Amino acid sequence: MKQTLAPASEKGSQERTAISLIDSDVHNYPDSVDELMPYLPDRWQAYIKQSGFKSPPGPVYPKGFDMAARRDAWPPNGKKPGSDPEFASRQLLDTWGIDRAILNPLYGVSAVFNLDFANALMRAVNDWTAEKWLSADERWRGSIAVNVCDAASSAEEIKRVARDPRFVQVLLLVRSHAPYGRREFHPIFQAAAEVNLPIGIHFGGNGNPVTACGWPSYYIEDHTAMAQAFQAQVVSLVCEGVFEKFPQTRVCLIEGGFAWLPPLMWRLDKNYRGLRSEVPWLKKLPSEYIQEYFRATTQPMEEPANPEHLMQIIEMIGRDDFLLFATDYPHWDFDAPDKAIPAIVPDDFRRRIMVENAAAFYDFE
Amino acid sequence: MTSSELDIGAVNDFVQGKPKRVEVNGRALVVVREQDEFYALHDTCPHQGASLSKGHVSGTTLYCKPGESIPYGSDGQILVCPWHGYEYNLRTGRSVFDPETIRVRSYPLRVEGDRVFVKLDPGSGKAKS
Repeated sequence: MKQTLAPASEKGSQERTAISLIDSDVHNYPDSVDELMPYLPDRWQAYIKQSGFKSPPGPVYPKGFDMAARRDAWPPNGKKPGSDPEFASRQLLDTWGIDRAILNPLYGVSAVFNLDFANALMRAVNDWTAEKWLSADERWRGSIAVNVCDAASSAEEIKRVARDPRFVQVLLLVRSHAPYGRREFHPIFQAAAEVNLPIGIHFGGNGNPVTACGWPSYYIEDHTAMAQAFQAQVVSLVCEGVFEKFPQTRVCLIEGGFAWLPPLMWRLDKNYRGLRSEVPWLKKLPSEYIQEYFRATTQPMEEPANPEHLMQIIEMIGRDDFLLFATDYPHWDFDAPDKAIPAIVPDDFRRRIMVENAAAFYDFE
Repeated sequence: MTSSELDIGAVNDFVQGKPKRVEVNGRALVVVREQDEFYALHDTCPHQGASLSKGHVSGTTLYCKPGESIPYGSDGQILVCPWHGYEYNLRTGRSVFDPETIRVRSYPLRVEGDRVFVKLDPGSGKAKS
């Protein structure tokens, strides 16, 4: 579904362009579960009141900063970072001249074991996003929260919410209870394909330890090792044949980095040559599926000591339209639009990263 | 036998379905007799140089959609490298996984009477067997 964007002038350009900056990863949070109450059925409102439920389980590791937020992202009204749409519009969108920003609500509905309750929370989060955020500023776009522990219900939710064209993506969290290529998740991919929305796979989750060796000690390990989970998801989606079964699928890897991708492609292609018979639904090299169906956001930007290596990595990935700029506002590891992409990146390529690649991926115009 | 064909042995020198290395004019071939058809490929896997004659003749899985019952076919038409499992089509020498890029050279064979002849290229001498 095409969306017309308001014209905006591009800094440093004589031409007026349709859009000049897209932020592909911003987070919106309910200040408390009370904000979701109006969107929950009576049964679950009563359940929350009686049980004292506050929120789904949060991250395992204490973050570097409270709420993993920039210290200046706490609104003056005392609300939590990312919970005040107007403050976020001013601090993020106005400050940087962002024309479109995609909201990824990290409310962990999939971590709630009671499936009926989790599904009610899922629907509430989406309705809350629509009413409190998307209606507050036309520059916001939404991602559809789903409960990956109940793929059938998630598929119905995707079809329900996608009727609102302000939602531009289905959101999964990378640390799932099983790799997303497995068939139990296929209803989610089928529904996303039916409504022609891409899948976003974002940092975080509650399914399994962040490393294949178990739980590390520190947040620095959690933050770094999350790339393992992303790798597992990429391999799973390719090898399980998701892109052959649902060829309309597109996947954006959000906040997982990208520099690890070339050696993964090499390793997977090499193994495919000897093990192809296991996965006869693949019609081409695994790396070709990765190049065709995946994109990634920039934040947290890979920062090699020699910035020339960055361009080498991008060349190895093999696509000019692979990277989508993101800030990760309001989090502490925020990437600033004017500083995050190193100077070595050519202007035309920078423009692709900052706006054109996301516009194409999310079908903005 | 034409001038460019070389005698590489008697038909009964080759066991059905068992790859056999044959050296001819300093060139190593892997010859396979399968259902009384004969095939010859260069006996070196282009990957890391394994001798394909140490591999085995097989079939393989055929294309299907994910979740469908996996069909098995091409039985006796696939030569599997003994080291890394690369699959080659015996008839063409092309790999199954990347037929346009990865392949081993194949050579035409012909049976006349009880002898098997290979055609390497013009000007080849006699087979050493």
